[in-house]
Amino acid sequence: MELGSGSSRPSDQESEVSLLGGPCTASGPSVNSLKLRSIYVSVSMPWRFPGLTRNLWIEMATSPSHSSPESAIIEQVITEFFAKSLHIILESRSPYVSSRNYSVDQFMSSPSSSCSSSSSMPRDKWFNLALRDCPAALENFDIWRKSNLEPLVIDIILIRRALVPDVARPLGGCLLRNFSGNCDLAREPKSWKIVERWIVQYERHKSSSSKNHKDVRKCGTKNNGGSSCSSETAFYKKTYKRYIILFRSLYVFIRLLPTYKLFHELNSSGQICPLSLSHRISSSIQPFTQEDEAKMSQFTFVPIDTPRGRLSLSVQYLRTLEDIRSEPSAPLSVQFILDYVGSPTTDPFRRLKSLPSAPSSPALVSFTRQHSWSNDHGALASVPLCPSVACSEARGICCNPSLCLPSLIHRNDHSPPVISEPQNAAVTHKNNMSFDEFWPSPFSPTLSPSSPAHLPGQRSPNALQSGSSQIDIAKAHPITASQTQACSSEGKLQIQMDTVRYGNYQTGPTIVKGFPSGKDDTEKLAELPSSSTQGPLSRSPSGLSLLDKFDDSGFACPFADYKDVTESCNRRSPHAVVGAVVQMLMTAAPLRQDLYNLCRPPQVFMDESLNPCVQYDQANTEQSECPASTSETLASVLLKSKTAAEGLEELRRYKEMKESILKQGASRSSDVDNGPRSPGNNDQS
Amino acid sequence: MNCETCQLKELVLEPPEIREVLRCILHTILFHRALGLVRPKDVECELFDITYVQCEDHELEKKIDEKINQFIGWVEKHPNRKSQVCISFYEVKNKHATWFGNKIERFYWEQWYINLHIISPKPHGKSHNTKAHVVTGENAFEGSNSRCAALESSLREVLFQIIKFVNEKKDHIPPLQNSEIVSFPYEISTPR
Repeated sequence: MELGSGSSRPSDQESEVSLLGGPCTASGPSVNSLKLRSIYVSVSMPWRFPGLTRNLWIEMATSPSHSSPESAIIEQVITEFFAKSLHIILESRSPYVSSRNYSVDQFMSSPSSSCSSSSSMPRDKWFNLALRDCPAALENFDIWRKSNLEPLVIDIILIRRALVPDVARPLGGCLLRNFSGNCDLAREPKSWKIVERWIVQYERHKSSSSKNHKDVRKCGTKNNGGSSCSSETAFYKKTYKRYIILFRSLYVFIRLLPTYKLFHELNSSGQICPLSLSHRISSSIQPFTQEDEAKMSQFTFVPIDTPRGRLSLSVQYLRTLEDIRSEPSAPLSVQFILDYVGSPTTDPFRRLKSLPSAPSSPALVSFTRQHSWSNDHGALASVPLCPSVACSEARGICCNPSLCLPSLIHRNDHSPPVISEPQNAAVTHKNNMSFDEFWPSPFSPTLSPSSPAHLPGQRSPNALQSGSSQIDIAKAHPITASQTQACSSEGKLQIQMDTVRYGNYQTGPTIVKGFPSGKDDTEKLAELPSSSTQGPLSRSPSGLSLLDKFDDSGFACPFADYKDVTESCNRRSPHAVVGAVVQMLMTAAPLRQDLYNLCRPPQVFMDESLNPCVQYDQANTEQSECPASTSETLASVLLKSKTAAEGLEELRRYKEMKESILKQGASRSSDVDNGPRSPGNNDQS
Repeated sequence: MNCETCQLKELVLEPPEIREVLRCILHTILFHRALGLVRPKDVECELFDITYVQCEDHELEKKIDEKINQFIGWVEKHPNRKSQVCISFYEVKNKHATWFGNKIERFYWEQWYINLHIISPKPHGKSHNTKAHVVTGENAFEGSNSRCAALESSLREVLFQIIKFVNEKKDHIPPLQNSEIVSFPYEISTPR
């Protein structure tokens, strides 16, 4: 290796570097920081010297008193020896100290790149052992480096502390910066014990006529004929291999000691452990007690000679940690965990489900289960939701958002529920009947004298209002069968919210337009004071139980195209969505009659149960309308009567037509039998 | 140049443990002799509570596994025998060109002998007595555990022996010939 000095880089950079000086270097500068001038040292790297890159930037003291670059190299090696030792030790002893950010490229770079990347060889590449980045080790070393090459004593301490729930103690190292030997641990009430002591030191030779000097001179004689500069370099080349082997051994050895097992357990376990490992760095060696000394073993790595001293590394370690780990720790205080998974505090919906009397509970449960993905979950969850949301398959309820989310209704008029219960029930039933023509209504089955469908929560009037208006909307814009696909939960939810807000929309005229009824029916509808205008419906709180029945029912959504609505809902504002829904309903094609027939059986069943007096016998031309004994059945009866009346009316007309046709036919046939008429008769006509 | 020889402590083990033991020992030796720039890789033994170190070199791992397979094959044919696996480091010198070709001489400068005593697991005697069988099984389980613990302790001693050897003897190591990870040519010998 040829070293050349004097040539400087195009841009000389002055940097502060704490220099390793001291009495060992006769011509070296004093300790502490000196301003250095980086000098480009061209090194023709032989293959025999793999530890250095081809073009090596070495920061050296440019003090005139400094002897030679070779001394600086030796000093650099000594410094790096200490750094490397500390790095290897702390990386495998201090949990959370070693970083996992490791890039092969950082350490396995080509010589050319290493030249341009740094002003000096990366520390981790020293001694051909590429290690993970360990900032704590570097930080510790930077502090130590100012101590003028004093012994580096690294104590690995096992700490046993009592588990305190409110204390979050990170498992990590305890760094001393004062080298006074005091440790923060002493202030804390916990037991600790030194399990390992690593000592890295550089012993300088006192006499110049040491063996090392002879060896150095010998190297110089062999290579370059006695030059002290080249002899030291040659000696360094020879000893560098020893450094490499020493650190290989250190790396393997440290993983065989008992403390490494504990370190590995602490590092890999995420549990809070009473045991933790810490370290203490000092420059003074505090002797152990005899008792501790007896329990410890010692291992000393073979020292490596330098031209002016000797580097040594030794360790004292406890042979076993079992007795320390098995010591009883402080008992944990008994605590009741209130926020366990599944508790009412963490899972309120589970709790709410167990309380059927709570009107809003099932809605919340169902809503949460269905829409846990929703970003609006938090906001929506606070809203008492329609129980119909519980079933995504619910054809009617979940798609009647007007019945849902009563809290979103903002009625400015504060008008009381206009329709009395009987009327409301009748209107509801009536509306449901007509609605059922095109779509199975969930409300018709639910309506019963005792427990009509209602909205959860105490805001039933508003809910009813919204519900009736929604029914009106649905009636006004019947949708085709093709549009009755099960909507996505997103769409349903959004529709529910938006439609509720839209609940105040009065659809009186539209009812007339969209409702497939005759004129008489329209008038009858108009006579109902509340159904077409304000649309309130009274619901009894007990209707919640009926709504619960729809959890498993398969009511399809009456809304036309949930896909379109969903997509539009996702992008537009709520009001725009409501408008889109209305538009959709208005432009929806009428439902076909066959749908009514498909959905009829359950309704018929319920109808019969509700109104046994109502007979759908087509032979009965007269509209049979039993007087409703209760107010809830009146609306349904009227609705059914109206529908039946219409049908019967038509039937009567057809019968009349039939009779007339038959009469005409009979008269014609009689005329033919009687023969042609006399001419006089014809003239008279 | 002297050839340093290291006879490692004999290990008593069963066939299923051969692979793990040999991997541990061979990789530890080679990690101390692969003096190129390496990125150490910690490996946890599957059978023992020991962490050893590998050079992250796929070629090296492949060669070691091949030799271990060879040895396991030999053990299957020769059960219950003491055997050795030898890893040698050499220098290639004096390539003499002869009429028959280039003669390459190898000068071994270090040899490691891994002494193994492979024992076959004893089959449990058939017993119609369930209770006796259970007791026999328990005893066998405890015996197996103690044997494994002893093997782990012995393996740890072997590793310490390797570290001590490489630390004490360094003068015989020849100069580095290249910048590759595995700095010196080597060969792993198994019984035939």
